[in-house]
Amino acid sequence: MATVNITVNGKSHSVDVSPETLLVELIREKLRLTGTHVGCDTSQCGACVVHVDSAAVKSCTMLAVSADGAKVTTIEGLASGAGLHPMQAAFREHHGLQCGFCTPGMIMSAVDMVNRKGNELDERTIREELEGNICRCTGYHNIVKAVGAGARAMKGGGKTARAAE
Amino acid sequence: MSATGIGAAVRRKEDQRFITGTGNYTSDISRPGEVRAYFVRSPHAHATIKKVDTKAAEKMPGVVAVLTGADLAGDKIGGLICGWAVSSKDGSPMKAGAHPAIAVDKVRCVGDQVALVLAETLGQARDAAEKVKVEYGVLPSVVDPAKTQASGAPQIHDVAPNNTIYDWHLGDKAATDAAFASAKHVTKLDIVNNRLVPNAMEPRAAIAEYDQGNDSLTLWNTSQNPHVARLVISAFIGMAPEHKLRVIAPDVGGGFGSKIFIYPEEVVALWACAAREAAGEMGLGPFGGLSHRCAWPRSRHACGACDRRQP
Repeated sequence: MATVNITVNGKSHSVDVSPETLLVELIREKLRLTGTHVGCDTSQCGACVVHVDSAAVKSCTMLAVSADGAKVTTIEGLASGAGLHPMQAAFREHHGLQCGFCTPGMIMSAVDMVNRKGNELDERTIREELEGNICRCTGYHNIVKAVGAGARAMKGGGKTARAAE
Repeated sequence: MSATGIGAAVRRKEDQRFITGTGNYTSDISRPGEVRAYFVRSPHAHATIKKVDTKAAEKMPGVVAVLTGADLAGDKIGGLICGWAVSSKDGSPMKAGAHPAIAVDKVRCVGDQVALVLAETLGQARDAAEKVKVEYGVLPSVVDPAKTQASGAPQIHDVAPNNTIYDWHLGDKAATDAAFASAKHVTKLDIVNNRLVPNAMEPRAAIAEYDQGNDSLTLWNTSQNPHVARLVISAFIGMAPEHKLRVIAPDVGGGFGSKIFIYPEEVVALWACAAREAAGEMGLGPFGGLSHRCAWPRSRHACGACDRRQP
């Protein structure tokens, strides 16, 4: 067993895990934050994307012990307060989801994209940047629209609603 | 929006929980005291099972039970059914081979279930599964549907000679023949129905729970039709009377038809809870944590996927 000290969505945790535990397992099974999903286990689908120290990470690819001391944001902690983060609102407004399974990873990747590339994202950039996130329901068209709209909506609101992460 | 809503975009009620990470998919559910399951699967497309030795696996840390096809057959749990019977042109019923939820004496596809390991954690179950020793007698396989009826092709089910389950004809043969006979041009072509892989983002998962007080079972699974699942698992597979079986389909992460079927893993999950011996071994605890990428190679048609995973 190893002890991982980790801050998730602003809350500190000290969690005992076996060494092979993945970050996504710590998040889902130890902290019971089940909005982060596992779709493939092979780093392809992107349903497990979270932010680790402000960078998007596929949490099925990172050992929990590697996240010792890190600040993690999951989909549950993206919005500040009871409202929606602009990217979440854009996904709803533009029908950027159907079954919802890939959506948390899509939204976390999209916010990371804005953090790195700015608020004016053209369609080609968005499509290329979403290479690591797979959806099987929507055909991506509305996801791309949602990301572009969400990026613009984030303008002036700081990099993310949780700017302190 | 107009008074009727016609032509207007309507916001979906379910989006709020999906975009905030508060959806409730099957694998998000955790029941107190649940044990985790991992299947030992066949690496061969076609083989006899000579022996399944579970002794070493049973001694591994955290292991609660290791169950085999013989255990399942011993408890008289029926096999999976085909829900749509098709008769041949001569009127004979289709010749569907038995499909036990855990293979008994023969495996018929890569990934066929051969044994089930139950342990306190999934990691323990997976480690123990590596200790299950299965002795196979490897048989020739046939993987191209067009070659399944060739002379000398491997025979998959004894009840279906030439690997032919039915020979289905539809329409008026005499009229069709006459139309072709009088046609100015006749073009012949073979039409191959493409392979279907409806890979939803959410892998399949099942959690089963036995309620001792009511002597009833509950199954949470990734299902597009829980009512049919209850009917089939009750009336055809014989797990429990319908009023003693509840099937709950929470949020489903895509299905595209693949989650209409009844799969072996959910049957086995229920059985592991319901079977008296297994329940005794497990202290009647709930059982959960199955999680698979769906779809098995359906040997009867070129329809299905062999992309599967265990968590």
